[in-house]
Amino acid sequence: MLFATLEHILTHISFSTISIVITIHLITLLVRELRGLRDSSEKGMITTFFSITGFLVSRWVSSGHFPLSNLYESLIFLSWALYILHTIPKIQNSKNDLSTITTPSTILTQGFATSGLLTEMHQSTILVPALQSQWLMMHVSMMLLSYATLLCGSLLSAALLIIRFRKNFDFFLKKKKNILLKTFFFSEIEYLYAKRSALKKTSFPAFPNYYKYQLTERLDSWSYRVISLGFTLLTIGILCGAVWANEAWGSYWNWDPKETWAFITWTIFAIYLHSRTNPNWKGTNSALVASIGFLIIWICYFGINLLGIGLHSYGSFTLPSK
Amino acid sequence: MPSPASYLLLNPAKPFSLRRLSYTPPRLHARRLHVSCDAPRGSGRSAGGRREAIPAGARQAKKQIVFFDAAPPVAQPQQGGSAVEKGASEKPTTKEGGGNAALALLRRATKKTLAALSNLPLAISEMFAIAALMALGTVIDQGEAPSYYFEKFPEDNPVFGFITWRWILTPGFDHMFSSPVFLGLLALLAASLMACTYTTQLPMVKVARRWSFTHSGERIKKQEFSDSLPRASIQDLGVILMGAGYEVFTKGPSLYAFKGLAGRYAPIGVHLAMLFIMAGATLSATGSFKGSVDVPQGLNFVIGDVMKPRGVLSVAPDVFNTEVHVNRFYMEYYDSGEVSQFYSDLSLFNLDGKEVMRKTIKVNDPLRYGGITIYQTDWGFSALQVKKNGEGPFNLAMAPLKLNGDKKLYGTFLPLEDSDSSNPSVKGISMLARDLQSIVLYDQDGKFVGVRRPSSKLPIEINGNEILIEDAIGSTGLDLKTDPGVPIVYAGFGALMLTTCISYLSHSQIWALQDGSTVVVGGKTNRAKLEFSEEMNRLLDKVPELIGANNENVVDCKSTAT
Repeated sequence: MLFATLEHILTHISFSTISIVITIHLITLLVRELRGLRDSSEKGMITTFFSITGFLVSRWVSSGHFPLSNLYESLIFLSWALYILHTIPKIQNSKNDLSTITTPSTILTQGFATSGLLTEMHQSTILVPALQSQWLMMHVSMMLLSYATLLCGSLLSAALLIIRFRKNFDFFLKKKKNILLKTFFFSEIEYLYAKRSALKKTSFPAFPNYYKYQLTERLDSWSYRVISLGFTLLTIGILCGAVWANEAWGSYWNWDPKETWAFITWTIFAIYLHSRTNPNWKGTNSALVASIGFLIIWICYFGINLLGIGLHSYGSFTLPSK
Repeated sequence: MPSPASYLLLNPAKPFSLRRLSYTPPRLHARRLHVSCDAPRGSGRSAGGRREAIPAGARQAKKQIVFFDAAPPVAQPQQGGSAVEKGASEKPTTKEGGGNAALALLRRATKKTLAALSNLPLAISEMFAIAALMALGTVIDQGEAPSYYFEKFPEDNPVFGFITWRWILTPGFDHMFSSPVFLGLLALLAASLMACTYTTQLPMVKVARRWSFTHSGERIKKQEFSDSLPRASIQDLGVILMGAGYEVFTKGPSLYAFKGLAGRYAPIGVHLAMLFIMAGATLSATGSFKGSVDVPQGLNFVIGDVMKPRGVLSVAPDVFNTEVHVNRFYMEYYDSGEVSQFYSDLSLFNLDGKEVMRKTIKVNDPLRYGGITIYQTDWGFSALQVKKNGEGPFNLAMAPLKLNGDKKLYGTFLPLEDSDSSNPSVKGISMLARDLQSIVLYDQDGKFVGVRRPSSKLPIEINGNEILIEDAIGSTGLDLKTDPGVPIVYAGFGALMLTTCISYLSHSQIWALQDGSTVVVGGKTNRAKLEFSEEMNRLLDKVPELIGANNENVVDCKSTAT
């Protein structure tokens, strides 16, 4: 009971903090950049991080197993992983545009996890025999870290695409309002970047096209690095899963739907990495592949469990049609 | 907050072209700043010590003064299919020609095939095709009987207007992952992997291995990153680069440094590891045995009886004579009543009847003996030991009643009257069980009477009979397999993990040339481009400015002129 209350408090702290953070981001974008606000958004992210970590730790202690046994816990872990991604460049003190991707992503995963949709899953569940293994920690944490990393990387690529084909998207915007939200965050990147550049290089004339070029180059480069990292983690995650499957299911590869989709994800990002070796395809084409990868990750992470097929259908909800 | 000028230098986003145009004044300013704070700590003495170390390193370096900008051009990628066809059509003619000509033609054909296979667009489309087929394989239900597909994809009402069962059964998409189309594509991909490694990656190694000094400042300035440091010494730069983890080689006025060379080689390892895994998987598919068996507690079976070969290369090993005895099968439960773990206590006996191994296996903890692995996969309810009014015990066989997913239900019946032809509808006690833990009992009218645990030894009174449930005998579901491919696949896994990690490293190369008192620096890297220019700016800021250099006046004139 104590743990349940603690978890309840922690999720609410993290969710409300991150809502504040996102509001600050929007204010920064819409009104103007206030130094104090920017610092407080950083502090907000740190608060969120500590409450999510606290949540995961209390789950671990109270359930006695690594807190990754159902979809709810894995979503919380995903937002934790996104936060880690948000922090790493901060530690290295290198400037990049990742935070504009990670913050909204964190709030979306957090929001989804805490929303009413998954309430019946909030309770920590018992571990079925097949999951009782040390590999659970290694395999699932690696997979989720790689999902988080790849999602960030592919969102950077999608941002690149949107910025490059802005005009067409503006046209779309009038028709479809749901793209608005997405473009909003991307335009935030662009806006912040242009402002930063304008501040720092007042001695040079500001050509909008030039900044656009520069920004897409940076996005391209960052998404490449982030996706490479995610690809490495995904490789490790899949292979750990294969070794585990050989211990638990009797074969290292069963063509289970989830397994297959993880392999499809892996193939798509392998295509991305290969497409970058051709200078002509760098940029737009590779970004297109990465954006496809974004969808594939969601199919792999959610879609398969939603259908409830295969051996991986642990701790998830299934469509009621079955 | 860095000063505007130093920010300008640190800002990696600044385009290189602009940097070159405008670098001089801020660079000097910034370096003065840095020298003033670095000087007391000054690398002066220690650098002096290391300065001698660099030429020593240079002596070891090969005398290779060729400058490589990139890998040598790979054999021209031809139009994929036509090249292969050509190669094939040319082969018959070679037989008639002389030996030499035939050899040359053959060589040409091989070359063309290799070039076609290592073609990047081809490889990418292969990967796309494989991904698409795999996705299709998860969409279409696999391994059903043909009638299922006739029903689901009827000819008179095709899905999406054109997909009928012919589209699925003809290419074998009802068993996608063993269909010839899919396996053929995988084989083609493997061929592409090999061709790419041979024609593209290995030549790059040869290039990357050679140290390359350059004496041309122009060439250095053409690099992705370039800068020049007035009043600096190449030795100081070398020391700083060494401190940052670079391998540094100097030769006269020129310097070459690199870092992360392993990152250049690792993709080869990735390809080889993939080939390893594919080879291992092929061996698994052709040379393994599989079997599954349901054994009640206390019984035994011979391994060879349950194993079935899965491929042409499957050879039965001697250990198939081993007999497995199930000493005990039991489950553990959570407080909530759900199963927490299944256990089977197994003993292995060889032909002489000697026990060679004994182990309690559970899910996630299989038994391994002589290449055979025994997994705990399933369970069943074999029999119920019951005492009726102190008689018995009777063994009542349990029948599976409902097998709906993971939820199991077993039932048995204890007749209370003698059955004969005159009385076909025998009344008795029904017993139902979801697991080995608790038995639900119903009287002869079908009314619920009570629940008993086999371990409780607590009798229950039904229709005037005292029933005591002595024991619940479970049966264990075991999967057995031999897989000669596993060691190879695991080796591939290990190599793949390692090499993809190493592939994250970026191979950075730096060239520098002492031009009078100025050092021209240029560099490039293959992956982390932004980080590289950041790192370079940081490192170059550390290079101390030489005060009182021989041609100080010249430098001053230069700097004032610009």
